[in-house]
This record gives sequence, structure tokens and C-alpha cells, in this order.
Amino acid sequence: MKDKISLLFAVGALAFAGFMLASGFYIYLIACTSWKEVAPQFLSGRVLGALFISVSSSFIVGILALVAGVPFAYFLAYGDFRFKSTLETLMVDLPQTFPPVTVGLVYLILLGSRSPVNIAFTFTAVVIAKFYVSSPFMVGFAARRFREVKARGLDLIARSLGADTRQLLFRIIIPLSRRDLLAGFSLTWARAMGELGATMVFAGIIPWRTEVIPTLVYSVSQTEPNTAIAAAVVAETLSIAALISLRRGVREKR
Amino acid sequence: MKILRLENVCKSYGETRALDMVNLETTAGEFMVVMGPSGCGKTTLLLVILGALQPDEGHVIIDGEAVDDLPMESRGMGYVPQDFGLFPHMNVRQNISFGLEVKNTPREVIDQTVKRMLSLVQLSQHSERRPSELSGGEKQRVALARALATNPSLLLLDEPLSSIDEATKTHVRESLKKILKEAGATTICVLHNPEDAFALGDRIAVMNKGRIIQVGTPQELLEEPRDSIVKKLIATMYV
Repeated sequence: MKDKISLLFAVGALAFAGFMLASGFYIYLIACTSWKEVAPQFLSGRVLGALFISVSSSFIVGILALVAGVPFAYFLAYGDFRFKSTLETLMVDLPQTFPPVTVGLVYLILLGSRSPVNIAFTFTAVVIAKFYVSSPFMVGFAARRFREVKARGLDLIARSLGADTRQLLFRIIIPLSRRDLLAGFSLTWARAMGELGATMVFAGIIPWRTEVIPTLVYSVSQTEPNTAIAAAVVAETLSIAALISLRRGVREKR
Repeated sequence: MKILRLENVCKSYGETRALDMVNLETTAGEFMVVMGPSGCGKTTLLLVILGALQPDEGHVIIDGEAVDDLPMESRGMGYVPQDFGLFPHMNVRQNISFGLEVKNTPREVIDQTVKRMLSLVQLSQHSERRPSELSGGEKQRVALARALATNPSLLLLDEPLSSIDEATKTHVRESLKKILKEAGATTICVLHNPEDAFALGDRIAVMNKGRIIQVGTPQELLEEPRDSIVKKLIATMYV
């Protein structure tokens, strides 16, 4: 009986791993089989333009998530106020499950042509759309680590030794959370690189202005499949490289 | 050396009364042990004195002045928690100098104080080591040095011997007593083990269910235990 269960588990695990690997890496196989047609597209203006917009907007999102998300995570960990867990659900969990297309629609209504602040279909719109969907990763990582530091009572000791909030943050909490903030940044960046729905609705697909890799893949997948494959390969390779290098950095510091 | 007085201190967690009209007074330079069974309110008492918890009623008074409204960072107390709470990203020297640095103490004063503290706790050779490279007894001495470096008005120790293995406990206990006598700090030390309490304390306050039921020297407690709880605690030493 025990062996049968082990066998079933092994089959389930293999099926899962096979599905995930095939979904993630099949694009490389396709690119290799039609390399002659795909290769020139890597240097096409449209792919490079989308790549530039994707990388730069995702980097800005990562920085903004650090600047704004880390203070929010601090209040989640150390603040003592009512409805804290509700607020955490709304700010951290919900954006990760909310359909991105509807977020894009909300921004379009709120900050589009009908509002006095019309920033729809601009680079700023790309950043805002990506920020909502991606920054909760940073807040989640930071809050979890801050709570671990708090549980060890290190904040009490630092305070008893005379540290104020600034000294507690910059000499104890942040140095002890550096690895997790780095991991949060890398995941935020990677998630922002892959964001499609909110960006497409709020920022549109304007080459060299708001077109990012996912929207490029979406818009040319039927008409120019080789461009779509090249763009997909570039995006995926960058995401994998970023995650590997950052995680290696995290591991080395441990 | 300062004097601590607690006046009618009460603290509840919901329906649970953790501290119930606690009155206690130390003398200057005294090593006062607060002893009692687990969950009797010892650590809550320590955290109220430290300022990490606000009492529902009553006052914490240092040298005649109520410090109830003072935040933890302004009370000037040294605190050593059960697991010593050394900052893992700092070495021994940096741990000891932390309290002086955050108060903008001049560098030469910091260096002199750290040197003096390292010598007091006999860890001059280990100043560049990280906490992960130290034994339990060494960690305890670093935590003491860190707390004493700021010249605290009061030293608060929470179960300082609980992480120390039995083989080295007697030695660590003696070294703890010696360091604190040399430093001359008024100390409140929470312990659950009567043997440790009787070996360390100048006086012992026995707590049960949030109340202090007897305060006296080890000799007084042995000769005239006022309560069945005190008798029971003393009896455990001879089992």
C-alpha cells in the first residue's frame, strides 16, 4: 500500500515537473528549430524597443517598491493598529489575485482621458500598471523578514540600548533583511517584466512608447510569429538570468 | 547605582491577570532575583520595568521618579533576554559598542569602554568573532558587556542560565555573579530554577499567579517560607 502511494506521488510529481518545464522552456526548442527566421528578429527595432521599455519600467517599479513598499512592510510588522490583517489582505494578497485587466480598466477610468490627469498610454502608465501587480512581492518578503527580526526581540534590545527608529531601521532591521529585500526586488522585477493585462489596457501597445515584451508577443503572435518567438526568448532569458544571479547572490551572503 | 520601586503594578492580557498589584523595591547595587513557576508573570514584570509593556495600573519608579511615560530608549536600562539577543550581523566588539554609538559617544570613549568591557567579561581575544562562533557562556558574557557598556540605571536579565548546558552552568553562574559584583549594577534577574536563584540572589522575590508572595534573602526564605508555594519551590532543590 505504502509503495503504491509512493508510486502515485512520483507520477504526480513527474507530471507536474514535466508540465512546468515544457511550458517554460518549449519556447527555446521552437526558437532553435526555426533559428534562421527567428535570429534576425532579435535585433529588430521593435523587439529592442519593447525590451528597453520592459527592462527600464520594471527596474523603476522595483526601486519604487523598495522606497514605498518597505516602509509599508515596517508598519505591517511593527505597527499596532486595528484592521491590520485586513489591510495586509487588501494591499498584499489581493493585488496578486485580482485580474490585472480589471486593474488596467480602473486606472484607465481614473487616470485616462475622462480624468483631469490624463496619463493613459504613456510610459508612466506602464510603470503604474506594473507597480500595482508587482510591488506586493516586495512588501510580502520584507514584512515576513521584519516579523522574524521582531520575534527574536532584537528591536527591544536595540531600543533598550537607546536606538531610535532610524537607528533601529538602518542598523538592525534593514541589514538583517538585506537578502530578503534583494529577493523581493528580484521577484518584483521579474513579475513586472511579465505583466500584460493591466499594462495593455491602461498603457496600450504603442511601439517605442508603451509596448513591452508581453504586449509585443500578444500583438504579433498571429501576424509575425518569428518576432513573437524572439521577444519571448529575450524576456524569458532575462527573467531567468535575473532570478539566478540574484538568488545566487542571496545564497552566497547566507 | 539606582533604586527601583514598583508600586501596585497591574497588567492583564485580555481576561488573564499577568501582574496583580505587584510591589517591589530594590536597594542600590542589589542582585534581586524574581523566581516562580512558568507563566507566573516574571517576564511580563521585566518587560513592564523595561518599558516594552505599559502597566494597566501602578508605577515604575527609578530613584524616586516615575518613568511610566518614558519610552524604552530613554529609560537607560540594560536588558539581556533569554537567548541573549546578540545582533548576528555584528561581531563582539560591534555588539558591545552599539549602545554607545547610537548615543553619539565620542569614538575614543567607545574604544576605551569596549576594551574595559571585554576585559571585564574576559573576552578580549574574541572581539572580532561573530555571535555564531561563540559558546553559550561566551554569548551570555557578550550580552552582559553590551548591556553594561551603556552604564545602565538598572540591569534586567531574563533567564540568563536557561541556554547554558549543565556541565558549565556552575562556572557560568559564578562568572555572572562576579561580573555583576564588579560592575556594581542594580540587577533584576528572572529565574525559574530555585537552585540558580538561591546561588545568585542577594534577595529573592517569589512570584505566583502574577503576585509577589514573599521577598527575602535566601536565608530568610529557607528559614521562614511564608507560603506553601515557597516551601514547594525550596523543596525542589533537595529532590
